[in-house]
Amino acid sequence: MLIVLIRIGDALRILNQDFGPLFYKGWYHFFYQYNPNAAVWGDIVWGHAVSKDLIHWLHLPLAMVADQWYDANGVWTGSATILHDGKIVMLYTGSTVEAVQVQNLAYPADHSDPFLTHWVKYPRNPVLVPPPGIDDKDFRDPTTAWINKTGIALIYDTKDFINYEKLDGLLHTVPGTGMWECVDFFPVSKTEENGLDTSINGPGVKHVVKVSLDDDRHDYHAIGTYHEKNGTWIPDQPEIDAGIGVRYDYGIYYAAKTFYDQNKNRRVLWGWIGESDSEAADMKKGWASVQGIPRTILFDKKTGTNLLQWPVEEIESLRLKGNEFNQVTVQAGSVVPLDVGSAAQLDIIAEFEIDKEALEKATGSNVTFSCETSGGAAERGAFGPFGLLVLADKCLSEQTSVYFYITKGSDGNLRTFFCNDQSRSSAASDVDKQIYGSFVPVQKGENLSFRILVDHSIIESFAQGGRTVITSRVYPTKAIYGAAKVFVFNNATAASVTASLKIWQMNSAFTQPYPTDKKL
Amino acid sequence: MTKIISLVILQAVFSFTFLPISYSASNLIETTCKQTPFFNLCVSTLRSDPGSSTADVAGLAHIAAGSVNSKATATLNQITGLLKIAKDPNLRKALQRCVDSYNTIVKADIPVAIEAILKGNPNFAVDSATDAANEAQVCEKSFANPPKSPISDSNKAMRDLTAVLESIASLLL
Repeated sequence: MLIVLIRIGDALRILNQDFGPLFYKGWYHFFYQYNPNAAVWGDIVWGHAVSKDLIHWLHLPLAMVADQWYDANGVWTGSATILHDGKIVMLYTGSTVEAVQVQNLAYPADHSDPFLTHWVKYPRNPVLVPPPGIDDKDFRDPTTAWINKTGIALIYDTKDFINYEKLDGLLHTVPGTGMWECVDFFPVSKTEENGLDTSINGPGVKHVVKVSLDDDRHDYHAIGTYHEKNGTWIPDQPEIDAGIGVRYDYGIYYAAKTFYDQNKNRRVLWGWIGESDSEAADMKKGWASVQGIPRTILFDKKTGTNLLQWPVEEIESLRLKGNEFNQVTVQAGSVVPLDVGSAAQLDIIAEFEIDKEALEKATGSNVTFSCETSGGAAERGAFGPFGLLVLADKCLSEQTSVYFYITKGSDGNLRTFFCNDQSRSSAASDVDKQIYGSFVPVQKGENLSFRILVDHSIIESFAQGGRTVITSRVYPTKAIYGAAKVFVFNNATAASVTASLKIWQMNSAFTQPYPTDKKL
Repeated sequence: MTKIISLVILQAVFSFTFLPISYSASNLIETTCKQTPFFNLCVSTLRSDPGSSTADVAGLAHIAAGSVNSKATATLNQITGLLKIAKDPNLRKALQRCVDSYNTIVKADIPVAIEAILKGNPNFAVDSATDAANEAQVCEKSFANPPKSPISDSNKAMRDLTAVLESIASLLL
């Protein structure tokens, strides 16, 4: 018995991004919501790309277009399920000619085609229509199905993806969180360093509920236990339940979705990174929105309350020339340039040690700190900010800072914050210049560290092994291509910092269309 | 004499019959507009469209989007008119930037907002409204002063109207 989780009514709304990711016959598949007519949302159809390594992609022809009455107004997101016999079914939301949201079934036209180029829509679509009492525009975004060995109390139950039984009860709800979009539900291992198939459950397993909140456009997750027998999920810590606790990413990252990569036994996360420039600029450049570098997801054994995200190891295949900087002392109030050559495409791994004596001697205070409301990298505290300036020009007229900020409470306890300051990222006036960030748990004995992937206008930063992640979009006008530089800085007042860094220039992935003259 | 009296009575009945209907429609318009930062602007904008008396919140959002479109189109015409006679290079540069901004509003922001409202994906309508406000702001700021902006009133009206649209679209989230 397969279960498909479809939240209905107040629960679920979708956004248009990646869906149906899967690994099949040696290729990773990525489908995405695509507007072939404009660099804005609308006229949505299915884009399709394939890769052997999640890094080098080939564009394939559009997988599905809006050519039936039941998806004439949009071929929206869905989820793929690989059945036991290896066959794939895709359940997706269509917006009908009358803009009613329904669920439709589609499957590959030819399962022996590793590229899954052509798709067939089930002739008797839709398989699910909004049930009585549910608004026509509030019914979408089915998730991947999983097998439940016993009975269930989820929304829909199916044996064949064609006939569904609507059941009472919901997996979970959290009051006051508004609309939930792109719900994801998956198991993680408490003990192993690998991912788990979506159908796995057991004593060493926790389940993650992830929701995208329509109200603030952020993705939240919570860790808990899934009770198969009565089909409920209970959060480990209700005070940080889904939607009110931890975020996948404290920057611009939304509608993320995982899939189980059976090729390498890992759970991989895809996320949509939008633009923070103006639509006028998007129209001029002719495109908008990007996908993040895929990230593996693991349970954080050290804290027990976090997930660890880390760029897939295949990204390392793009590393070119590397530079190492060992034990660079950065005095309070100084900026040190790092000579790495061209700095618009980088992979940076950085470790920081702050003067421990100064930290111990200091008297704490009860001042609260938050990255978002602070003065950014320019606001000096006793023990922060310190970190890196990326996509900076040589006279620092443009700079984006990624940094730590440590506070000491009057009880002597240290709290560490991880921030990304865009306030001086560009001379342009029509771009977002917020400061993103969050508290990051630092365990006893852990050094402060982060990894940054820099890619022209995209910065993905991972602190403490991926425990806290920030993605941002910046649009420098001078710190571009060969003129982009990187600096290490320490703007704290009371302590010096020692930094050790490894910085690689990154090659481009040269994504291209699959040659159409080749037989697919 | 009797005839006149009958007429008066008929009139009164006529008015009372219609009052409850327009009151409840006004009620939705007023409740909705109370949740925007510009109540009076919101009410007058919505009421200028006869369809507003029977519209639900999505319908009111659609009317608001249409209103932003009209104002943007009119402002675009104003700008291109000014561009025809402008000689100062700084003024021309600013006006050209404004053409880009308002073209974006008319060709991208509003069509996306309307599609989003009609298909039940209101967060794109909210985003578009925010972007439209930003475009108007960028246009206004492109006048370095000197030269002074000749379209301050239009840009301000635009920012206010898009704020109304954004608030109404947010109610659909």
